[in-house]
Amino acid sequence: MEAVYSCFREKLGQVILPGDVFCFDVSAVEGSAVRAERVICGPGLRRNGDEILVYKSGILRHKAPNLYWIDSQQKRYVPVKGESVIGIVTAKSGDIFKVDVGGSEQASLSYLAFEGATKRNRPNVQVGDLVYAQFTIANKDMEPELVCIDSCGRANGMGVFGADGLLFKVSLGLVRRLLAPQSEIVKDLEKIFPFEMVVGLNGRVWVKAKTVQQTLIVANLLESCENMTTQQRQVLFRRVAEGSL
Amino acid sequence: MKETPLSACERTFLLKAVEEKKRLDGRQTYDYRNIRITFGTDYGCCTVSLGKTRVLAQVSCELVPPKDSRPTEGIVFFNLELSPMASPAFQPNRQSELLVTLNRQLERCLRNSKCIDTESLCVVSGEKVWQIRVDVHVLNHDGNLMDAASIAAISALSHFRRPDVAIQGRDITIFSPEERDPVALSIYHMPICVSFAFFQQGTYLLVDPCEKEEQVTDGLLVIAMNKHREICSIQSSGGIMLLKDQVLRCSKIASVKVSEITDLINKALENDKRVRKEGGRFGFAESMPKERITALKRDEAPVEMTGVQEMAEEFLSKGEAAPEVVSSPVIVATGTGQLGEGVQSTWGLEEEDEEDECQGEMDKEEKKKKKAEKDEVMVISDSEEEEVVVLNPEAPKSKGKRPKH
Amino acid sequence: MAGLELLSDQGYRLDGRRAAELRKLQARMGVFAQADGSAYLEQGNTKALAVVYGPHEVRGSRSRTLHDRAVINCQYSMATFSTAERKRRPHGDRKSSEMSLHLKQTFEAAVLTQLYPRSQIDIYVKILQSDGGNYSACVNAATLALVDAGIPMRDYVCACTAGFVEDTPLADLCHAEESGGGTTLALALLPRSESIALVQMDARLHQDHLDPLMEAAMTACKGLSKVLDSVVRQHLQEVSVQTRE
Repeated sequence: MEAVYSCFREKLGQVILPGDVFCFDVSAVEGSAVRAERVICGPGLRRNGDEILVYKSGILRHKAPNLYWIDSQQKRYVPVKGESVIGIVTAKSGDIFKVDVGGSEQASLSYLAFEGATKRNRPNVQVGDLVYAQFTIANKDMEPELVCIDSCGRANGMGVFGADGLLFKVSLGLVRRLLAPQSEIVKDLEKIFPFEMVVGLNGRVWVKAKTVQQTLIVANLLESCENMTTQQRQVLFRRVAEGSL
Repeated sequence: MKETPLSACERTFLLKAVEEKKRLDGRQTYDYRNIRITFGTDYGCCTVSLGKTRVLAQVSCELVPPKDSRPTEGIVFFNLELSPMASPAFQPNRQSELLVTLNRQLERCLRNSKCIDTESLCVVSGEKVWQIRVDVHVLNHDGNLMDAASIAAISALSHFRRPDVAIQGRDITIFSPEERDPVALSIYHMPICVSFAFFQQGTYLLVDPCEKEEQVTDGLLVIAMNKHREICSIQSSGGIMLLKDQVLRCSKIASVKVSEITDLINKALENDKRVRKEGGRFGFAESMPKERITALKRDEAPVEMTGVQEMAEEFLSKGEAAPEVVSSPVIVATGTGQLGEGVQSTWGLEEEDEEDECQGEMDKEEKKKKKAEKDEVMVISDSEEEEVVVLNPEAPKSKGKRPKH
Repeated sequence: MAGLELLSDQGYRLDGRRAAELRKLQARMGVFAQADGSAYLEQGNTKALAVVYGPHEVRGSRSRTLHDRAVINCQYSMATFSTAERKRRPHGDRKSSEMSLHLKQTFEAAVLTQLYPRSQIDIYVKILQSDGGNYSACVNAATLALVDAGIPMRDYVCACTAGFVEDTPLADLCHAEESGGGTTLALALLPRSESIALVQMDARLHQDHLDPLMEAAMTACKGLSKVLDSVVRQHLQEVSVQTRE
């Protein structure tokens, strides 16, 4: 384990650029037998034989026990298979809906890809609605396709939503921070007042709180979390919490 | 390039916020965003930032023969360009409606009001006059281009200095800036445009709409005034119906705003003059803040917090007792979990899905990572003809080279 | 322009009218057999011709189709012989485009477009002789043409210009008065509800004078609407006489 960690540890928390390579020289390890190590490459890292290549610029981050990824700052989203995004329905043509996900082209969403939808029983989707869906096809050669059900045929939280509430855009780095399992930002925000939030990996976030005022506060706080350190953020949240409650 | 369409949910939210007199960034209904006016190193170059909207104006001059119908007057020419860098909605070389509207409004506001003394631009009557050209470029579009463009144009004109000329008989000598100090234009007054956005058939109005608010507005009323309370131009656009009192009320609000903005412009001009005289550094490079990534930076937006406590207490007293807080996730179905304030949602059927989504998303990420750990090498390739990624963690053996059906 | 008094001491204007007097208005409807609706209007020496086609299918770019309303397409042009000097460019210059845009906005507010979704209504206006008040003549002619075509509107749209000389508002300006350098206010009004569809003003005017000026313009518009009403009724009378057995 040490071999891998030592390679990464030097660069942990530093800025690395695309083209940097982490190569594990097995022969350099002395002493005890080499054990099979497992390294999970998150976004920004890719495996190439015995090396790990970096393809996004940013800061190297690590999560125990063996997850590594690059924290990058990017505003434009490129569709990736399996990611869940918030899309806006722009057109209904025949059997499919055209959905804008913020990428280079619009994705298509078949009307049968909703829970309980059949040819007779069409889902109630209008132009201008928000949908939370997942990519089934997202590569450079084909038009991206979305579905609102998982492989079992259940909605699983996806579908049309958001009759009220506010939709806004943040950078992709912030979205990943929000979606991390123990996100501190979300925990801090929960303490201020209750709200609902849907986060799409294409940088779109939807929030709804009990009043318009609270919704605006939450939206502004989230947008300002982009470039603040943890301390500044906590100070700001505490100020807001004292002002409101 | 196509711009992001406006979803129905955003539209309803914005209209609801307008009804409650709340704006997206916490301003009051009659407030302007932060205005910053900076001048460049050359005379006549000015950048105005109105919140995130940025506009650049440049004034230049040239000696030309005058128009036949007006042999003793100089020519003032305005040109506004919508650069595609400002917004994905602008396309190059296209005469769009917005471009025509902005250009005509700028011309009417500044030329028809005769703010510049054109007679003083005459050098030799009937033969040579100065042609002043004002070019306005929009650098970033975040709503309310008209106001920003008019402030930039009039500031640039006030800042501009034309070369001095001497006439001896029929010979005209133009002095370069080194030989003789250039001369300022004589400007009678400063007309400034103020935009009012109307919503819900004229019931609500906002000053200085930002881009999102502009997309849901019914119509716009632009009033150009100067600080002597003279109206230089009124123009209503969009298919709205106005009443006479609305127009009169808007003109009163506009006079207040215009005097504030005129003071701001004068102060900026004074500052620039002072810095140039003292030999300090001036120009755009100085006015840009250093060392920061400016694209994603936001100024702290003051958001109104008053009254929230009373409202919160009201809700608490009226609502039912808070449901118990469950700290460890309750697995409802495969891939979905619930966490937090009670297992059953009290807000209605639709909202159930959203709460699940938020928590379910987190669970899904965890499960995905766990799944990846089970295998040796998990190659996420782009080609969709290889294996199918199954999200169901109960069937670990499903990772096989199963062809897509 | 020295020597030209816009308002003499006895209260007479350049063409002998009083301050609040309108020019003579003559109009005919149904002048063209081919168009769905047409009208010819003379306001003093200003002559305008308006032709309406529609509602018909959206031609040109399909993307302009609105799913819940009709699109209104206006084109304004001046004949080359309409002004004192020959006009070199009848269409396409900025002033014509702006005027077309204003006409479109005026009629979008007045026509009940919700009744004809996914269709287009064309309004073409041509100025044959220009002597001040171009915009008002266009609007009045187009109103009559729309009535002739049978397209439902909320009310008559009447437009008139007004000016201000020595504390007296003048109604319905002619060309010499417009270019004299004083204030010109153009107003399009729906008389019954007193709502203003379009207001446009150039040149300097003190804020306190705005009220009387708008009042004068609105009174003039109401007077105009009575004349237009009588023209419509007379035309219908003539037409029905011919179709009666």
